[in-house]
Formats: sequence, C-alpha cells, structure tokens
Amino acid sequence: MKIMVNGVPHETDAGRDDPVVDVLRDGLGLTGAKAACRTGVCGACTIAVDGTPQASCLLPAAAVEGRAVTTAEGLDHPVQRAFAAHDGLQCGYCTPGFVVEAAAFVDAWRAEHGDVTPPRDRIAAALAGHLCRCGAYAGIYAAVEAACRGEHDGEAAAPARVEAMEKITGHARYTTDVRLDGQLEGAIIRSAQAHARVTSVEVDHAHVVDLLPPDRIVRYVGQPIAAVTAPTRQEVLAIAESARIGYEPLPAALDDAPDAPPVYDEQSRKHAPSSSEGLTLPGGWNGNVRGPFSGVSRRSRTAVNRIEAARRRADPLLVTGTFSTAVQVHTPLEPHACVARWDERGDLHLYLSTQTVALAAEQAAKRWKLDASRVHVVADHVGGGFGAKSGITVEAVAAVELARLCRAPVRVVLSRAEELTDAGSRPGSRTRIALLADGGGELSALAMDVHGRGGVAIGSSAALLARLMYGTAPRRLRDFDIVTNEPPGTPFRGPGAPPMLWALEQAVDEMAHRLDEDPIVLRRRWDGNPKRHALYDWAAALPIWRDRPRTGSRSGRFRRGVGVAAANWMYLVAPATKVELEVEGDTVVARTATQDIGTGARTVIAGVLAEELGLPADRIRVEIGRSGFVPGPPALGSRTTASVAPAARDAARLLRAQGLRPGAKVVGRRRGDRGGYLTPFPVHGMALGRGFSGAVHVTEVEVDTRLGTIRPLRVWGGIAAGRIYAERPARNQCEGGIIQGLGYALYEERRTDPVTGTVLTAGLDDYHIPGIGDTPEMTIHFHQDGWEHVNGHGVGLGEVSTVGVAASVANAVHNATGWRPHDLPIRPDRLLEGISR
Amino acid sequence: MTVPTDLLPADLLLAARDGEPRAGGTDLMSRPAAGPHVDLTGLRDLPGMSGITWQPDGSAHIGALTTIADLARDARLRAAYPALALTAQALATPQIRAVATVGGNLLQRNRCRYYRNPAFTCHQNGGNSCPARAGDTLYAAVIDTGPCLAPHPSSLAMALLTYDASVQVHDRGPLPIASLYGDGSDPSRDHLLDPGELLLAIHLPPPVAGERAAYHRATGRSEAEWPLVEAVARVVLDGTRISHAAVGAGGVARVPLRLGEVEEAVLAGEPFTAAAALTAARCTPASGNAYKVTLLAGTVLEVLEQAAGTSAS
Repeated sequence: MKIMVNGVPHETDAGRDDPVVDVLRDGLGLTGAKAACRTGVCGACTIAVDGTPQASCLLPAAAVEGRAVTTAEGLDHPVQRAFAAHDGLQCGYCTPGFVVEAAAFVDAWRAEHGDVTPPRDRIAAALAGHLCRCGAYAGIYAAVEAACRGEHDGEAAAPARVEAMEKITGHARYTTDVRLDGQLEGAIIRSAQAHARVTSVEVDHAHVVDLLPPDRIVRYVGQPIAAVTAPTRQEVLAIAESARIGYEPLPAALDDAPDAPPVYDEQSRKHAPSSSEGLTLPGGWNGNVRGPFSGVSRRSRTAVNRIEAARRRADPLLVTGTFSTAVQVHTPLEPHACVARWDERGDLHLYLSTQTVALAAEQAAKRWKLDASRVHVVADHVGGGFGAKSGITVEAVAAVELARLCRAPVRVVLSRAEELTDAGSRPGSRTRIALLADGGGELSALAMDVHGRGGVAIGSSAALLARLMYGTAPRRLRDFDIVTNEPPGTPFRGPGAPPMLWALEQAVDEMAHRLDEDPIVLRRRWDGNPKRHALYDWAAALPIWRDRPRTGSRSGRFRRGVGVAAANWMYLVAPATKVELEVEGDTVVARTATQDIGTGARTVIAGVLAEELGLPADRIRVEIGRSGFVPGPPALGSRTTASVAPAARDAARLLRAQGLRPGAKVVGRRRGDRGGYLTPFPVHGMALGRGFSGAVHVTEVEVDTRLGTIRPLRVWGGIAAGRIYAERPARNQCEGGIIQGLGYALYEERRTDPVTGTVLTAGLDDYHIPGIGDTPEMTIHFHQDGWEHVNGHGVGLGEVSTVGVAASVANAVHNATGWRPHDLPIRPDRLLEGISR
Repeated sequence: MTVPTDLLPADLLLAARDGEPRAGGTDLMSRPAAGPHVDLTGLRDLPGMSGITWQPDGSAHIGALTTIADLARDARLRAAYPALALTAQALATPQIRAVATVGGNLLQRNRCRYYRNPAFTCHQNGGNSCPARAGDTLYAAVIDTGPCLAPHPSSLAMALLTYDASVQVHDRGPLPIASLYGDGSDPSRDHLLDPGELLLAIHLPPPVAGERAAYHRATGRSEAEWPLVEAVARVVLDGTRISHAAVGAGGVARVPLRLGEVEEAVLAGEPFTAAAALTAARCTPASGNAYKVTLLAGTVLEVLEQAAGTSAS
C-alpha cells in the first residue's frame, strides 16, 4: 500500500485493517501521534488526512491509501509557535494531536472570519476531541486565539518552556516512543477474579514471567499474574488473551460491610501496598478495617467532650456531617511504559516513564542485585505522572524479567484499560466531621474520622493533615483504612488533602453561615498562617467576592454562586540535590538526575542559569532524565523546584568564580535553609522544611437546576509558595491544578461492578476527565513573600494548587442553591436530587 | 432515487454475511468485531451512496456513506431538516464526525460498559444474561423494555424518527426507520438487519415549511460525552399556536423513541412543562437511574422551549 506522509511517499506492508497510528509509529517511526486511548476519545493520535484532522487510532490503513497524511512532525504552522509562546502544554504528550487539530481550525477560522479572536466556545467545540490531563487548557486557548489573530505568522518568540518546540513538533521522545533493535513487545496477564488462589497458568509461549505474590493469591480484578512477550503488540495481546488461568475462588470483599470476607490474613497484611507517599501510619486491624491512627490528635479528650456536650444541648454552633469522595484515577496521557535492555556487560538499561529516575535506578539495583553503577534509567520526556509513576512499577518488572529471559529488549506499555484499572488512583473516602465554635466564634473543637477506601492498599492519611490547619484548638483526628478486593490506591497529587479539605472546608463554610460571618473573615480569624492571611486579604478584595449573592437568595433556573476554600501543604526538599555544569563550546550544560513530568523543571534550571550567568537561552542546555547524573530530586511532594533551583544557582556561582571557559566543570549543591529543616536528617532523601505553602481558591459556578449541570465560570487561585522561578510554567501548573480539582469535584469517578469488582470505567469515554470546554476563566495570583528563610526564597506549588479546589466548588454550589453537596463527584443526578429536597 | 443495487459487487455482499461491515470504522475499530471487517468505502462512488441528493419534490436522499460532518455543514439540509443537522453537529467530536458515516451511526453498537468490557458476556455478545441489571445502572435505560438495559447509541436515529424517514436496504423495499430497531425486546443486537443486509440510504419526506427545531444532549461535561439523556423537537408555529410537533428522545431506552404523548399534548395547547412531564409515565427506573426520569422531562422541556423560541428562565 502507498501512503504519502508529510509530503514523502511511503510503501507500507501494513494490513488494511491496521490502525494508522500503528502504521505511523511502528512502521514509519513517526512517533508524534500517540496511541493514548485507542478509542478516539483523547485525540493524542490526531493526524490530518487531506487536511482534515482525524483520530488515527480508529482509522484503518485502507482509509489513507493514496491520501496525504500530515502529522505534527510534518506541520509548520503559526499555531505551533503560538503553543510555545503561550505555554499551551505541560507534559506534551497530548500536544502533537492538539496542534494538528488547532492548525486546521486556525486556518479555517482566518479564511472565514479574518484575523480576529474567536469566541471561546468555538475553540472549545473545535478541540472537543482532545484531552489534556495536565489541564493546560488556558494556555491552549491563549495560543489558538493569538494564532487566529495572526500574531505568530512571523519568527518564533521565546518559548515559555525550554523543550516546548520538541514537544510541539512531535519530536520529543517519550518512553512509549522508544524502539530498540530487536525489541519485543510485552503484555501483562491479569486476574479476572476479585479474590482467588491461582492454581495454574498456562500460556502457549516459551517465555512467561510470574508476577504473583508468594502466596499465589490475587486480591482484585486486574491484578498482574504473569507477563509474556511476542514480536508485535497484536501477537502478544493475542497470547495474553489465550492464557488459561486456573483459579480457586475465595470470597471477595467488594464493599465495606462489617461481615465482608477478609481480604488479608495476619501474614499477608504485612505486605499490603500503601497509598501514602511518606511513611505509612501504624494501626491495628479489625477484620478489613485498619486503624485508627490518631497520633496527631491534640487534646483529643477535650475535643470529644466539648463536641458531646454541644450535641446534648443541640448547640447551633456544632457543625456535623458525613462527606464522601470517589476514587480518582491519575490516568496520565502517557501510560506507564518501560523498555528494558540488558547489555553484554550485564548492565540494565531502562527507558521508563517515571517521576523518579534516581529512585527507580536504586530500586532496580536492589531488586535485581546489581551495583548501582550498572543500572541506567532514562526518561527524556514523561507524559504526566501526578504521583502514579514512582519507583519500579509492574510494567518495569515485567519488561526487565522478560528482557532477561528473551535476551532481547522488551517494551511493556500499559493499555488505557490497564491504566484506568491498576496503575494509580486516589483512594475514595468517607469522613465524619464535627466542628464546634464557642460563643465568641472561636474554634473550640474538631473531630474527624476518615475511612479511606483504597482497595487492597492501606495508608490513608487524610485526617492527619487537619492537624496543620486552623490553629491549635483541641481536635481528635483519626485515620482508618477499609480494605476491599479492589485495585490499590496509590499516592496522588497531595495525598490525603483533597478528601480532608472536601469535609473541613465545607464545615468551616457552614460555620461561617451559622455565625452569619463572611467565610473569608472567619478563616482569617482561625488561620494563623501569615502567608495565607495575605491571600485572604487578596481574595476578600476581589469584586466577585464582594458582590457574591446571599446564600439562598437565588431563584430561577440558572443560579450563580461563589465559594472559597483554603489549602495548606508541606514544604519538602531533597537536601542532597546537586546540579553539575559543564561548558561545552559556548554552551553551558546543566545536568542533574531529576526529570520533567510537565512541571517545567528544565525551564526553572535554565532560568536560574540565565539570570546568574547572564547568558541568552540558546547558550544554556539542561540535561535531565538520566539516573547517572549527579543526584536530583524525584518529582514527588512538590519538592523539585525548591531542590534544583538553589543547587543550580550555587553551581552558577561556582562556575562564574572559575570562569566560563570550555571544559570547565563544577557541581553546585542545594545548601541548607536559614534555621535548618524540621527533620533533623533526611528520610528517604527528603527533608521537611520550615513553613507551609498555602492556597486560597475563589470559584464562581453556574448551576442549571433543570438539567443538573454545574458550570465553573471563573476561578481565582491565590498561591503562597514564595519566589516564582518560571512564571508561565508555574501559572500553567496552578491552572492545571484547578482543572484537576474541577475534575475531582464534578466528573471523575472510578466505578466498579458491585458483583464482580471489575472496573467499569476502563476507557476515557467512561472515565470522565475535564475537557477544554469545561475550563473556567482562571486568574492566578502569586504571593511571593514569607519564604526568605528558604534558600532561593521559593518552594513547590504542584500540590497546594489543586487540593482545595473541589471544596471551593461545593461552597459555590451551596451559595448558589442553598444545597450543600456531600458526595463527590457532584454528578447531575446528585444535584437534581439534592436541590429537589 | 434509490441506490442501484445491481451495481453492488457480489463478492462484497457475500463477505458481508460473515463479517462486520465497516464504513468510517469509528465504532468498529474501537471494539472486537464479530467476524472480519468488510470495507464498504469502495461503494462511495456508487450513485446515491454518499452525499445528499435533493429530489424534485424538495426531499433529501442521504447516502449511507455520507459523513456526519457533511451532514452537519450542509446549508440546505440545515434549512430543510434543522433537527437532523443540529443533531449531527452535536454528536461525537470533530475528528469522529469527519470520518463516521450516517449508516454507521444508525447501525453502531451500544455503549454499555458491560457490553464493551471483555470481562463480561451478555445478551449482546453471545451470553444469556444482563450483568448491568444486577450491577451498575447509573447509565442504564430508564424505560425497561426487555432483558437488555443498554440505551440505544444513535442520536441520528432519534432525529430521523421524528422525520418519519425511511431507509433503503438492499434486497428489501423501503423500510420505515423505526423498523431498523423494533421494540427493543430482542436483547441480542442494536439493530434488526441480518448479516449481509446492507443499509444503503436514508430517504426523508419533503421538508415542512416553517419548521423550527432544537436538539439537546444532557451530559455532565460540556462536550464530547455520550448523553445521559438526549432529545430533539421539531415544531411549526402558527402564530403562538403549535400546528406541527415531532419529539424524540434517546439515552433512555433500548431503542430511539418518538414521544407521541408529548406531541399530542403540545398540539392540544398544553404548557410545555406539563407536556414534558408526561414522559414520566413511560419510565421504569432501575436502582441507580431514577434521575433519568427528571432529566428526561427536563431535556424534553429544554428542546420544546428552544424550538419554539420561548425563553428559558
């Protein structure tokens, strides 16, 4: 078959029914189009066929025979420069698809209307078939608008992030794009049973890797059982599908009923995975319930006594409620992926889509008993993570073991169904909260019991985080896990905080209502954090806040309301971080073993160097994504910027002292903060620094009381994270944090079949993440004071920028309708039911 | 006009008995096929198989291989059959509309999460049960007419139903579009064409002068989502009186629906709210989808108001 791709004729031996995306990627080596969902929903595979954008995952090869195909690699269009200038991307995995579609839209728009700004809803409709999990939609709108106005017809402006053009042109190489000579494809065979002992695994294939735990018991549908390989993806999927698994079924716990059969026995519970990012809290077991952990409570008995007394006297200043949250899935657009190769010297080379190149290398060395110097982890570009891509995960285990067995490189890429089932999720939760104010309106007591639902995983630590907000009033904070035979929860952007704030920030809102006090004024009184005080003052002065309606005053079909929520997060840092600088010709090359999952780590380092060394951008190159470089931080816990930026500055100063001559090489360190850290020595390479980052979100929604929808109109995000090193990527991340928070509030929910425990939301048309049309107008305000004690004066903001958003939506819905949502997500059915009461 | 069936290649007709016909492929490529794909796109140049052909009486003949995008952007179609054009504009996403065809839309398989998940078998793929019934019914049909609870996926079928369109299937005379779907009691399939029967074209009756129409898709997000409930309304106003009304609904039953009771009430001058509320009598909610009763009435009210141009408040 003959096809013309980017102006070049190709002869391909692809089958006529093969998806075009595979023909391009595997056949022609054009990896700009990404096969991210394979159901035509996400748009990452979009190409233009005779100028018309189409989803190449659903396009049979026969459909492009004799046609002209254009991929992002072949595109040379002003909208690409606009995406770079306006930062219409983060991780970049969805970007090639977006730009192909956007180019067609911009051309059609300008031809029809001239060089004028299109309305937002026209852009949203044109890009409706594209999903960006990072939530870079504000930048995408800005880019498309500017390109339509003809602002990018000429030379390229400076990109907002250094690797922008690589991503925009489809040339950036992600793990899923890696193809080595002789590479085989691997696939994972997974459990069809929620709870069973596996008695036999029969596969018509020589190479099988066992992935079962020592007790041979699978504890959820989708748990890995074995891995297999074949030369092509189609073949290996067929082999995996034909595997015959013998099960001895065990009773499964698919709900939190007290009489549910046990998920673990005393022995196996020791190996339960954890959804906590730091240390897993201790706790006893009672059947499938673990906990409580209440170690951070403060004058617990006083808190309970006060609440009990208030309950007895029906104190109107006792606010109580039960709040629940759904399981939220990370589902980064680049699925978990690994290419493993053992070289002739016995070294292990891992191309891994990871947030932790260094940690992955360390864990691989330990697991496969190798010297640390013999493991080489590469992650040039990472298509999103959000907490799900930490350390050595199952796709890496499968690829490494298969590569060893087959003596050939092996690539394992999870399907979207696997990604949505068993590759990372934020546990669901049920929270009982009681909040008491005294006669003077001061916080008198707080009690919070949070039951986390992370499937087979333990480690819910939500209530714990309520210790860090609203002063020192007595409080009892208890965390529990309810384990079930469902896929494990994992750490997800701000672990524990969104469910905690969903309950606490609504209870505080309710208290303001009872006290007939402005909710911002109340928070300002209760909250001792001076940086958040500045944010409250900023928020209180917003016209949208000053002019908000009185709760319950709205009638009619469409009701607008405004809500606020505050958030708090820890300041973490990796004290061992180093940045190496080497002068190569007239270019300064920076290296550190960190990675960029879309946050802008390269850009932060490049910006510091440009400032310190007075060099133009084209004389600085940042090399990251290699485990062998000097130590760098994992992209976990909002610690990258606070770790790498001061180290880069230190290196720059050393280099300046030494002189910028070719061959010069220095290593800068992340020197300590004034006053040191709260943790006397690093734990897992991490120190807890002094001070807390803060956020205040003010959200305006419009509720359609007829059809049950909630439209977020405008969101203001105030962020107190000190110095902002790279303004546009930082703002982008905060905007993306709002988008993910809106997804959590309104749409996202992993649903499982109550009978079998099978995940039903196994495709992106069933698991609903926000699209560009769901994007509100966003204003980000950075309060940059208050971190003078920190080396570099700035800390991370990835987590604090998202964790409180859902609560601000709920408070806005309450303001609009008088009805308070208790359960996430606030689906149309819940809203219709709630407002009908 | 009709598509000249004597020009259909014999080998293709034969192959279609054992495989699944593929036009744009947007549905078929995303799920395992029942047999080999039978590529129909070679028929595109057959007279009447693709594009809109206007008849002397002003009616439209739409080839089964016409893309949704072509339907959505045709100015004459928008004027003559606005409900159809609005529905076409609102379904799926631009990339899908550019490729997906009218015939494929009418004959696509349903979106039930159980049917689409290889972990389950059900009436639709050789099984003998409906796992949704005992399981998650949040998105299930709220009008329960048979063993299967999957709402019918075709928005165009619903719109065409309100036009009393007919379809041309080779080897058979013109069929009313409703007969493609029956009453929903056969749980094993989403349309009633037998293997090898090819849908060739759609015929619309002549346009109704002065038609005003609206389509609405109730979803959680703003774009790109399968409907919780969808509805379409066509009305003709004679002063303030409604002299002609056709109302359809989807997302609520095994088959696309025509809502005769709503049409009658509207023609009798009943307020829209009361007319839309009549749909509740049809509903037999499962454990998780009682909200669809409210949403159906709300969506029907929405399209009636939009079509008639009465302001929503």
